[in-house]
Amino acid sequence: MRILRIVSAFLRAAILKETAYRAELVGNLFRSVINIGVAVGGLAVVFSHTSELSGWRLEQAMVLLGVYYLVQGIVQTALSPSLNEVVEEVHKGTFDYVLLKPVPSLLLSSTRRFVVWHVADVMLGGAIIAIGLIRLEAQITFGVAAIFIGVMIGGVAIVFSIWLALTTLVFWFVRVENITMIFQLFFDTGRYPVEIYPFWLRQLLTFVFPVAFITTVPAQTITGREPLVAIWLAPLIGVVALLAAARFWRIGLSRYTSASS
Amino acid sequence: MTIRRAALAGALALTRAELADMFQYRVVLFLYSLWEVVHPIVYLAVWGAIAGEGEVGGLRLSDFAAYYLTFMLVSHVTAAIEIYTFGPMIQQGQLSPHLLRPMHPVWVAAARNISYKSVSMLLLIPVWIGLVIILRPSFTVTPGSVALFLVALVVAALLSFLVGTTFALLAFWTTRSFSFWEIWIGLTFLLGGQVAPVELLPGFVQNLATALPMRYTLGFPIEVLLNRLDAGELALGFAIQFAWLIAAALVVRAVWRAGIRQYSAVGA
Repeated sequence: MRILRIVSAFLRAAILKETAYRAELVGNLFRSVINIGVAVGGLAVVFSHTSELSGWRLEQAMVLLGVYYLVQGIVQTALSPSLNEVVEEVHKGTFDYVLLKPVPSLLLSSTRRFVVWHVADVMLGGAIIAIGLIRLEAQITFGVAAIFIGVMIGGVAIVFSIWLALTTLVFWFVRVENITMIFQLFFDTGRYPVEIYPFWLRQLLTFVFPVAFITTVPAQTITGREPLVAIWLAPLIGVVALLAAARFWRIGLSRYTSASS
Repeated sequence: MTIRRAALAGALALTRAELADMFQYRVVLFLYSLWEVVHPIVYLAVWGAIAGEGEVGGLRLSDFAAYYLTFMLVSHVTAAIEIYTFGPMIQQGQLSPHLLRPMHPVWVAAARNISYKSVSMLLLIPVWIGLVIILRPSFTVTPGSVALFLVALVVAALLSFLVGTTFALLAFWTTRSFSFWEIWIGLTFLLGGQVAPVELLPGFVQNLATALPMRYTLGFPIEVLLNRLDAGELALGFAIQFAWLIAAALVVRAVWRAGIRQYSAVGA
C-alpha cells in the first residue's frame, strides 16, 4: 500500500511538472505519427512482394509492429527516465541521497521519473494493434485478451530486467552512459517476427536476449497464430528475469562507494 | 592565395584535433557502428525470408546479402551527423568563438564528420569482414563499377553532409530541428534504399525515389557498385545526383546567410 502511494506520488509530480511543456505532447505525437507511418509504409513495401512473411500476413505483422511501439512507449515513459538518472547519479556521487531515503533503493531508482508525453507511442501502438485486429476480423474472446495482457506484462518485465541489469553495470564501470544502446540495438530486431531470422540469430533472440518474448509472442497470442513456444513460458521468463535482475542490483549496490571515497 | 593556404592548414589542424578527440570515445563509437550493422541485417533477413531458395524481383538471397553488406559501409560513409554535432553548437551559443576564427565554421562540422567516420570505420571493418564470411554475398563487381562507385560515394557523402548541415542550421530558428530531421530520416528509410533496394519499390514510388534526393545519399552508390543499373539509368542517376549536390550547396549557403544574420548567442 505504502509502495503504491509512493509511486502514485511520483506519477502525480511528473504529470504536474510536464504539464508545463504541453507543446511537447504535440511534438511527440507528430514524431510518433511519422515514425509509425514510415514503419507501416515499410511493411507495405515488403508485402507488395509477398502475401506472407515467414507465415505472417500483413495484418498480423501490423499487430506485431503495434506491440513494438507499445513497449517502446512504455520504456520511454516509465523505464529509461528513472534508470538513466541512476547512471548520472552514480557518476556524480549524488546516488547517496537515494540510498538515504527510507524506501527500497530499487523501487526509488526505477519509479522516480516519468516522461508522460511518450505516452504518444503507447497510444499509436495500441491504435495499430486495433487496426490490425479489425482487418483480421479476429474474434477476441475474454480468455485470449487475458492471455495477451499476461504475455505483454511478461514482456515488459523482461524489458525492465534487461534495462536494469545494463544500468547496474554502472556500479562496476561508472562511465556507462550509452550502455542501454545495447538494448535498443537488439530491440530493433523485434519490429519483425523472429521467424525471419536465420537459425542462430533466432536462438539468440529467443533465449539469450529474449526479444522474441517481447514482440513476437504477444502478437502471436492475439492474432491466433501457432505459438512459437509454449505461452506460459513468457510470464515465467519475466518473473525469473525480474528476480535475477533484482539480485544483480543488490550485488552491484554493495559495490557502491560514492564519488570521493 | 596565401589566405586559401592558411584556411586549408587550419582545416587540417582542426581535423587532427577532432581525430584525437574522437579516439577517446572508442566504446561509444563502436556501439554506434554496431547500430549501422543491425538495421541492414533486419532487412536482409526480411528479404531473405521472402526470397528463400528462389528470387524476388530478380534478386536472390546472395544478391540481397551483397546489397545490404555494401549498404553497411555506404551508410556509414554517408551518415549525416551534423544535427548532433553542429545543431547543438548553435543552440548553446558555442558557435560564437568559431565565428571569430578566420575560417568558415562549417569546417568544424566537416572536420568532426570526417574524424568520426575514420575512427568508427576502423572499428566497423572487422565486424563487417566477419559478416561477409557468414553471409556469403555474391558481389557482382567490375573494375568499371568500382570506379563509378567511388565517384557516386563521394558525391553521396557530400550531398548528405550538406543536407545534414541544412537541417542543423534550422537551429537558428527553432529548437525542434530534430523533428524535421526525423522526417528526412523516415523518407530516406522508405525511398533511399533502406527498407528495400529502390528497384523493388512499387511503380510510382520508384519514380518518386528516382527524382527525390534521398536515394542519392544512400542507395544509388550501392546500385552502381553492384551493376544493377543499365547505361541510361547510370547517366540519369549521376545527372540527378550532381543536380541535387549543386542545389544542396546553394541551399546551405542561403540558409547560413539568413541564419547568421539573426543569430544571437545565448545570453545576448
